[in-house]
Amino acid sequence: MKKKRSSARHSEVMAISEAELVGLTSDLDEMHHATLPAMHDAAGRWADELRTAAGGLGRVSTSRRRFLLGGGAALGALGLVACTDDDVPVGGNPTPTDPPGTYRPSTGDFAVAAQAAGLENLAVSTYQQALDAAAAGRFGAVPPAVATFAATAKTQHADHAAAWNSVLTNGSRRPVNDVDQALKSGVVDPGFAQVTDVAGLARFALGLENMAAASYLDNIAKIENAYALKLAASIQPVEMQHAAILNFVLGQDPVPDTFAKTGS
Amino acid sequence: MSLDDQSLDTRALQDLIEESQDSHSDAMRAAREPLADLVETGRDRRAAGGFDPEETQRFAHERRRLMRTSLVAGGALAAYGFGERLLRLLGTPAFADQALDVQMLQTSASIENLAVATYETALALPFIGGEGTNATIKAFVTKTKDQHAEHARAFNDAVTKLGGSAQSQADPVLLGIVNTAKPTLTDAGKVVDLALTLETGATQTYQNNVAALSDPGAKAVTASIMGVEAQHAAILLAVRELVKVNQVDLVNLDPGNVDRLPDIAGKAGFPDSFQKTDQARPAAEGALQ
Repeated sequence: MKKKRSSARHSEVMAISEAELVGLTSDLDEMHHATLPAMHDAAGRWADELRTAAGGLGRVSTSRRRFLLGGGAALGALGLVACTDDDVPVGGNPTPTDPPGTYRPSTGDFAVAAQAAGLENLAVSTYQQALDAAAAGRFGAVPPAVATFAATAKTQHADHAAAWNSVLTNGSRRPVNDVDQALKSGVVDPGFAQVTDVAGLARFALGLENMAAASYLDNIAKIENAYALKLAASIQPVEMQHAAILNFVLGQDPVPDTFAKTGS
Repeated sequence: MSLDDQSLDTRALQDLIEESQDSHSDAMRAAREPLADLVETGRDRRAAGGFDPEETQRFAHERRRLMRTSLVAGGALAAYGFGERLLRLLGTPAFADQALDVQMLQTSASIENLAVATYETALALPFIGGEGTNATIKAFVTKTKDQHAEHARAFNDAVTKLGGSAQSQADPVLLGIVNTAKPTLTDAGKVVDLALTLETGATQTYQNNVAALSDPGAKAVTASIMGVEAQHAAILLAVRELVKVNQVDLVNLDPGNVDRLPDIAGKAGFPDSFQKTDQARPAAEGALQ
């Protein structure tokens, strides 16, 4: 009788069985653990590439190992801290305008959405930084195709971020409006500081686009919600296209890989 | 063997059962709170007209409906004298999911097969594969053909892993489009247009399939190919713009070339922030009958 009453109560509260509940719990935990390494790895690999290209970028503490070890801060800015159980709001630091208690923790697919929004915000910020530096003459004369690329890619990344934030806000999750300060200060800023010409800028942007595409490909395998999956699948090819054009501009094979890679 | 047959203290056993149930209930309460959020969010989303957890169920139902409809319309069931019991079997989620996955993968392989054949045709054209033609375009066409062949093999590997038969034929509808276009391929621009039709159709089909496939391996291979076809399309779009302005000489991989590229070359390759699906092929269009 005790068990029957318990089951009845469960039915009133949630329209899923206990078996489904256990499965969902397991899935959430697996999602949490599976998403983080891929993101770390993609970012770490990019950091490695930047360090190699710059010949000494490691001096500014961007070695892959240090980056991974210091990943907690990076994850916070990417919204992944919301996967923990400490009820930390997702999406970076709360702003004074956020009513307290409005948002729920982002877990599961919402954590992926937060991660994606944070990454897209970083791309927008980085392209804007590049455009500002170009306008200031730092790279010399910037070819029209490169300037157009940067402006268009920035706009598209902003569209992507807005789409993911729409997913978050519609799900009563905090939108991610910040960039990842750890990734920015640990990888992006030191890498960008080494850029002195247009070719270097294109290589830098290529690393960013490749990381984004790899992250989306990895997330496509993990997302369960049909809407979020379709959104990720509609964005990943666009990031790949950005990379193809950058390769072309750099005089490199524009489609070097027969199969797209994840972060591993 | 019943409990009565064992020399157990049934009272103690009952206590253990109740204790276990209590522990279970505690654990369930701990897990239920965040999950209740998910359920509540789903209700909110339904109220707001957004995505909801039932979407997946509806999609699975649609997959099964498509499976039944396709087979009945194709006469397969009648031809083999299958009855209502088999129809019910076909309607079960496991059977329908795997069968539809095979159909989607076969369609994908059929698109790749056609792409290989089409790029081979292009290479046979004097202004693409002949002497003195643009070396970068020729190299791109050659490598793209090879990549499509690899994709076809990958899709067919996935098909056979799911128990289906490899698809060696071309997508019948797209084949018609290619055959119609062949006599009109009199310059590089027309070849680029035809190739774009195939590449766009491929990437959009795979985009749809990524969201529809149930087998993780099938989804992974499709997703890994989807973006590569989009890259092919991006380069073709950029080349088309250069051909339009009669600057095909700028289609080369000289790093110093960038200074001469027109601004349109910097954005033509990715016209949309989000890949569309208006040119996606039907899931079973290239499936084996």
